[in-house]
Amino acid sequence: MTGVAGFRSGLRAWLDRNDLSPGDDGTLDGQVAQLARVRRALYEAGWMRHGWPAEVGGLGGPAVLRAVLGEEVAARGLAEPGIYSMVEVLVPTLISYARPELAAHAVPLLLSGREQWCQGFSEPGSGSDLASLTTRAVPRDDGTWAVTGQKVWTSLAQYAARCVLLTRTAPGHGGITAFFVDMDAPGVTVRPLRTMHGVDEFAEVFLDDVRVPADRMLGRPGDGWRLAMDLLPHERSTCFWHRIAHLYTRLDRLADETPVPDDAALGAAYLALHTVRCRSHATQRRLDAGARLGAETSVDKVLLAGAEQLLFDTARDLLPGVLELSGGPWRPEYLYSRAATIYGGTAEIQRNIIARRLLDLGQE
Amino acid sequence: MDAADRDLLAGTLRKTMDSCTGPRLDAALTEIGWPELLAAEPRDAVAAVFGLLGETGAQAPLLNDVVLAEAGRAIGGTLPLPYAGGSWVVWERTGEGGGLDAELPIRRVDPGDAVPLADGRRALGWWLVGSGRAMLALARAHALDRVQFGRPIASFQAVRHRLAETLVALDGAEATLTADTGDPGSPGHELGALLAKAAAGRAALTAARHCQQVLGGIGFTAEHDLHRHVRRVLVLDGLLGSARDLTREAGALLRPGRPAPRLTQL
Repeated sequence: MTGVAGFRSGLRAWLDRNDLSPGDDGTLDGQVAQLARVRRALYEAGWMRHGWPAEVGGLGGPAVLRAVLGEEVAARGLAEPGIYSMVEVLVPTLISYARPELAAHAVPLLLSGREQWCQGFSEPGSGSDLASLTTRAVPRDDGTWAVTGQKVWTSLAQYAARCVLLTRTAPGHGGITAFFVDMDAPGVTVRPLRTMHGVDEFAEVFLDDVRVPADRMLGRPGDGWRLAMDLLPHERSTCFWHRIAHLYTRLDRLADETPVPDDAALGAAYLALHTVRCRSHATQRRLDAGARLGAETSVDKVLLAGAEQLLFDTARDLLPGVLELSGGPWRPEYLYSRAATIYGGTAEIQRNIIARRLLDLGQE
Repeated sequence: MDAADRDLLAGTLRKTMDSCTGPRLDAALTEIGWPELLAAEPRDAVAAVFGLLGETGAQAPLLNDVVLAEAGRAIGGTLPLPYAGGSWVVWERTGEGGGLDAELPIRRVDPGDAVPLADGRRALGWWLVGSGRAMLALARAHALDRVQFGRPIASFQAVRHRLAETLVALDGAEATLTADTGDPGSPGHELGALLAKAAAGRAALTAARHCQQVLGGIGFTAEHDLHRHVRRVLVLDGLLGSARDLTREAGALLRPGRPAPRLTQL
């Protein structure tokens, strides 16, 4: 892969010359501002446009270039990897489901850091059972749609200009319809959620008779479930690679800071990270070769969540008292790692999928 | 070797391993070209042959050949091999053993000379993953067949999740075996093999635990095949370093100012 190697070395040289290190502001406001700054700089220099098609302002090339870019961003700690990686699920959705003119107009706004977007999927009554969602979209005589309902766990909703929103237009899986909604539309209310790790990254979104133009529908009525399923290959290839790169930086930090080097414990955390890195590498190679990713990415998901929690459990063991008694980043990061087996499909849902689809064990 | 070549090779190997084991299998594999294959396509040959030893439950003293070849020595003989806990063993080319896995002619010997172990560790990694897949296949078939409370036990989530966990461990370990971690002779090649053996040993032990539990009473009888695979992975895990020893060895690389090697690049 000389193209990839050349991209990486060029990128590294550019990042060495252009310092995008974050400042001292570790608040969520600060993180989001830093994210916008990093995206803007990388977009203007072209790096952020590689791996995206020209129709949406990209420069073309394989998706693996985006994984390489995100790995460098994570390795240098330039942006919080969770929110940095959101483009990886949002942009492919627009490319696949939005009208071409809408995608061409909107995607550059996100990639260049001028806007943040969010994804309105989960609801108070629809978590693991996402297909039971009840936010209603009703067609009106004037050709618009009226949307009413409530979303929850919507990352960055309070900063977002737009939302990829799943709604119900008919019963069943085939009755879910997606819209690209302006967050400043009348009737949209956002309430950030307090979470146990102290960062208000997630929000509740209330939709009260929100009018959405018909040309903001993503795909056709009933395409929403397929849209949600189509996200998984993106989330579980590029995004995972970014997160793994981030977790390696935390393993290094742990080895730097621990006063009680325990080779067995450090080695187990390293082995778990190495394993998911190898698995993720293979997954991206398959994607690059044109394979359609499916249920087997649940294996990647289980490995990643397990590695993340093992790493932070090890950090708590080998930095005694630090996250309990001292400030600093270990405490929120440890607490956030507790969610790794919950978000993006719980560990139990992943095992259900593996049992049903990969092991062919039949119905529960 | 392309995918079609690999399939053809796997078919031939599987037939051979289903028909004989031990010294007879050693001879049969020599006849169908194991020495030439090991010399020409070491990576593919080791993956195919050792993975299938695990899946079929057959055994042959081929680990000697892999270690001898990496040391640049003539294959076909034996040499002392390090075992967990500072022991050394020799894997005879004929005869029977008296260890936990009585099919394997392995016995303790005096410490031998240090030899390169990367290729041997990968070979054992493939064997362990193959054995794990054999155990998973046995447990899966049992879960679908065995009816309790009026339904197959495969319909119970507790059983399903044990089998899912087993597949995750095995697929993860296989990814460490297939990953390109560097050319022979490079530090990444050595470390990649060490980590792969550790991952495979852990995965095989995970498979043994979960599959034994899913198989219940039948899996505890000597009439069922499971115990042969359980014995085999317990013995193979210790050979050339156990998962526990190798994990600790990998951890010792992580020190202040020495970042964890990121093996395998996009």
